[in-house]
Amino acid sequence: MRSFFVYGILLLTLLSACEERVNIQLKYEGDKIVVNSLLQPDSVAYVRITRSVPANVYDESGFAEIGNAQVTLLQNGIALSALQQQTIKGRTYFVSKEKIANGNNYTINVTAAGLTPVTAQDTLPPAPVVSDGAARRGSTRIVFTLKDRPGAADYYKVRVLAYGPGNQPDTVRNFRLDPAFNNNLIDVIANTHYSSLIMDDTRFDGKTVNFVLETENPINATRLMVEISSLTCSGFKYFRTVDVQIRNGGVLITEPFTVYTNVHNGYGIVAGINSQRLVFSTE
Amino acid sequence: MSLAGKLLTGIICLFLCFPLKVSGWDWQTRVTVVVKDQPLRVVCEILEKGYGIHFSYSRELVDLSRKVTVTAYQQRLKSLLEELFAPDDIRFTRVGDQLVLQQVKRTTRTISGYVQDAVSGEKLPGATIYAPILKQGTTTNQYGFFSLTTVKDTNSLIISYVGYEPALLPVDGQANRILLVPLQPLASLQEVVVSGTDKTRIQDQTQMSKVHLPLAAVQSMPKLLGEADVMRTLQSMPGVGGGMDGAGGLHVRGGSPDQNLILMDGTPVFNFSHFFGVYSLLNAEVVKSADLYKGAFPARFGGRLSSVVDISLKDGDMRHYHGDVAIGMISAKFNVEGPIVKDKTSFIVSARRSYPDLLYNATLKTDGELGRGGAFYAYFYDVNAKINHIFSPKDRIYLSLYKGEDNLLIKSVPDSIVPDASGRAAESSRFQLGWGNTIGGLRWNHIYNTRLFSNVSLNYSQYAFRTEYEFKYKMPATGQASDLYGKYFSRMKNIGLKADFDFRPRPSHAVRFGGAVIAHYFRPGLMNLSDKGSTPVIPLDTAKNWLNIRGTEMLLYLEDDWRLRENLYANLGVHASGFVVEGRFYQSLQPRLGLRYMLPRNWAVKASYTHMNQYIHLLSSAGTSLPTDIWVPSTQRVAPMLSRQVAAGIAKTSTNNAFEFTLEGYYKTMYNMIEYSNNSAMITQPLERWDENVVIGKGWSYGGEAMIKKQKGTTTGWIGYTLAWSTRQFPEINNGRIFPYKYDHRHDVEIVLTQQIGKHWEASASWHYTTGAPLTLPVASYHGVGTASPWDPGSGVDVGIDRYDGRYNYRAADVHRLDMGITYSKQKKRWRKSWNLSVYNVYNQKNPFLYYMKRDEDEKQRYLSKVTVMPILPSITYSIKF
Repeated sequence: MRSFFVYGILLLTLLSACEERVNIQLKYEGDKIVVNSLLQPDSVAYVRITRSVPANVYDESGFAEIGNAQVTLLQNGIALSALQQQTIKGRTYFVSKEKIANGNNYTINVTAAGLTPVTAQDTLPPAPVVSDGAARRGSTRIVFTLKDRPGAADYYKVRVLAYGPGNQPDTVRNFRLDPAFNNNLIDVIANTHYSSLIMDDTRFDGKTVNFVLETENPINATRLMVEISSLTCSGFKYFRTVDVQIRNGGVLITEPFTVYTNVHNGYGIVAGINSQRLVFSTE
Repeated sequence: MSLAGKLLTGIICLFLCFPLKVSGWDWQTRVTVVVKDQPLRVVCEILEKGYGIHFSYSRELVDLSRKVTVTAYQQRLKSLLEELFAPDDIRFTRVGDQLVLQQVKRTTRTISGYVQDAVSGEKLPGATIYAPILKQGTTTNQYGFFSLTTVKDTNSLIISYVGYEPALLPVDGQANRILLVPLQPLASLQEVVVSGTDKTRIQDQTQMSKVHLPLAAVQSMPKLLGEADVMRTLQSMPGVGGGMDGAGGLHVRGGSPDQNLILMDGTPVFNFSHFFGVYSLLNAEVVKSADLYKGAFPARFGGRLSSVVDISLKDGDMRHYHGDVAIGMISAKFNVEGPIVKDKTSFIVSARRSYPDLLYNATLKTDGELGRGGAFYAYFYDVNAKINHIFSPKDRIYLSLYKGEDNLLIKSVPDSIVPDASGRAAESSRFQLGWGNTIGGLRWNHIYNTRLFSNVSLNYSQYAFRTEYEFKYKMPATGQASDLYGKYFSRMKNIGLKADFDFRPRPSHAVRFGGAVIAHYFRPGLMNLSDKGSTPVIPLDTAKNWLNIRGTEMLLYLEDDWRLRENLYANLGVHASGFVVEGRFYQSLQPRLGLRYMLPRNWAVKASYTHMNQYIHLLSSAGTSLPTDIWVPSTQRVAPMLSRQVAAGIAKTSTNNAFEFTLEGYYKTMYNMIEYSNNSAMITQPLERWDENVVIGKGWSYGGEAMIKKQKGTTTGWIGYTLAWSTRQFPEINNGRIFPYKYDHRHDVEIVLTQQIGKHWEASASWHYTTGAPLTLPVASYHGVGTASPWDPGSGVDVGIDRYDGRYNYRAADVHRLDMGITYSKQKKRWRKSWNLSVYNVYNQKNPFLYYMKRDEDEKQRYLSKVTVMPILPSITYSIKF
């Protein structure tokens, strides 16, 4: 309710307000190494290394990459094979030879000329137990079942993708928990849908829950994919804080939200993720 | 004449003249005596040595040990002796060349009663009762009652109150009677200004860090959209800051808005604003006066850390029916008062409502945008009612009620059902939002005797916030139907029984004591949403996020305004309280100390030391007050808040009482304050575990305040300056480093002027300048990640993340604004009309409301953008008083 009000006031004031640019020299912490890698079991590791920029830099190219970075991946403290640079969809990734496996602790060390070396580590979460994905074409509801582990702190990320003409899940669909399912009045008043849902299991610890999602627009695809990912605590903090910072839109009416990072001496995130995908035809 | 006759005449003449020739002094003799802090005996010795005045007295009966400070140049002997000996009841008589001193048996008497408006019978709180010869005085309490115990041969008292003709009250034979002292209101308001000292000279009050605000001061300020406002006037005092530009909120000496105890006729108010803090919840017309305590808190107040705003409302005219009606740009209001039984029972009723939504609703109806059954309302209203009945000269009772709300309703019933882009065909929708206070008070004043007065009150105060939503729609494509109904409800209320006593046992003591029991009921955050459509949805959980907690607070207090010595005064007090909640018990013993020392030339030095305790916390987003903010009690993890404040200063009123000057410095520490931990503020968490989402820290505020006021003549006003620092420290915020408070402003200047122009015109202007508030800006940006593999569906979306390092690395722009107003008033036969034209932000200064990092996709740039919401705002108000 509080956040709803903050946004309400913002909307009201922005509608009636006048705005002007402030010419100010923003402080800059200096160039730092940015490490981004989400480690998925049974997959190789993809590590993207970029460089930070001052906050007033408009960057539409996904930020400058550090091509000469030295990237090391360690599994339980033991270095794996050297990572190879690959260009995928126009971007450079450092890709491992070995696949990531459950039950291990992974560390990524990165050095680059002229920059402070950085390090980050995380483990992997167990795969989520999901089933029974279903949706009716023309409706806005998607259902699936999630079985949560009792007594353990679990974190989840949910995405919905629609299959296109090429029979590929190529369109991310905006959605939210059905307001009646979520028992959340704010959702229904705010009427906002998002491309992903980040949640912990506080409200359903150890239960098997039939989730009901509501899409922003009626479902018109013949096939849908609901991706449910387990996250580690680091991954959850990262996605949650990114989510909040983006929703806040940089408005400084409340205190700005700091995005979580576990990269020492640098920025970014190295976190385990374990995704399961429910693919089904719409009725 | 015979020889014998001549001889006799000569002898008589010789006899009569001899003493004068020998002594060389008489009562008119001009004497000069300057001593500092010496016993009376020394003064006598100086007079004896310098002027040959021989004192004769018994050391056993007459005590001349009291130390005095005398600065008398060429003063008449008799007037000096009166000043020296009157306080000790020492009588002096001339016998020959001897001045014989005798100790008069100390007989005192107590004069008590009420000071009231001679026309309306309205009681006047804070009026001054002063015995000039004895330099002794007191003020009326909030019910207009006074009790002054003084020596028996006091002839008369001077009674005064700003805005009224002072009165000389003969008191011979008035002992043991309850007097009614009527004061005649002045014809014009030109001398009515804010007084820091209840109209007595500021140096004669031990109380410091206090501002007294009569109704006229509020009314004479320039208006915002036609509304005079109590809180806005208080914000123009040194040491008091507002929140964001255009919004209200009192930040007193670096404290947050939840640390203010706002009392309306003694009943606490939880949310003192309408329209997101823009207006006070009270119609200014019903406010009699307001006292703001920034420090040096008397022991009778407690429960909040930073300030007390004690508002007295009008009681209602006991003799005549009258009232006023006014309409401004935002609201219309009326106020009616009068006797039910003349001089026995009176009433006052006032109401106010904002009205722009009525005009907008009519437009919507015409356009048919919301359908035939649709409606739109967005308004605030408040209603005040009070009855005051005198049972006997010793007993009177007050019953007061207040109800005020802000409401929003959007109801739509489309005339035709057409699916929107999402495929939903809305049949009806209704969104309702409201919040407000309900306040009631029953008070009984009783006078036991001329020295003991009591007030017993039963108070009720409730603040509630509620939202309701209904949405009924169909999806024609699938036949899916929904009938959503949801509500959110939050309530805080308390019921208190309080007894206060005023006791004046001796001239040098004014004692207050009392106690209270207050039951607090917390019911925050009840949310429920259900779908009664054809395909009902089973909710994930229900009724998980609301609490129902009861707490009981008990308190006792004792304070004594004590004249220790001729030049030294103290206000000593203690406030003891306890709080029981969920099986836990918290207690605190809060000392309150105030001192005043009189220097020559009417300078007073004052100092104070106070503890304050607060058992309830407000869950608020980083100092931004919202109607949704929730009050919660202390828990196992979050202990009650505590503050300690020390203040010192000087005060003086000019000889003609035209100017008043105060200079104060303060240092305040605050403990167990709460703030949402990083990133918790915007994330919905289960309310029952709110204390896990906050961090506990401490704060420091210190600074100085100077104020000079002109309170006589056609030009009145004040200039105030504040130099202040306010900082906070929380272990998980800003890496544990100390950071400034969100509304920490280093310098603050306030200039308020009112000019009376002839009989009909009054102009006013206020200029406010404050240095910029702290601001947190990013120190870098970097790339984020969304998926594990670049081959994953939906990958490749760029996420730019801003990096923040620490809190408040910048300062926002300085804020300044000039407001002006002019009022034309004219008395007609039966009524008085007035027009007021006010201009808010005369030179259209673009003060910052908020900042944000803007990503300009057209210019391909990213930069800091400032949003301004309060441009130049002229307004006009028309009012009639009858």
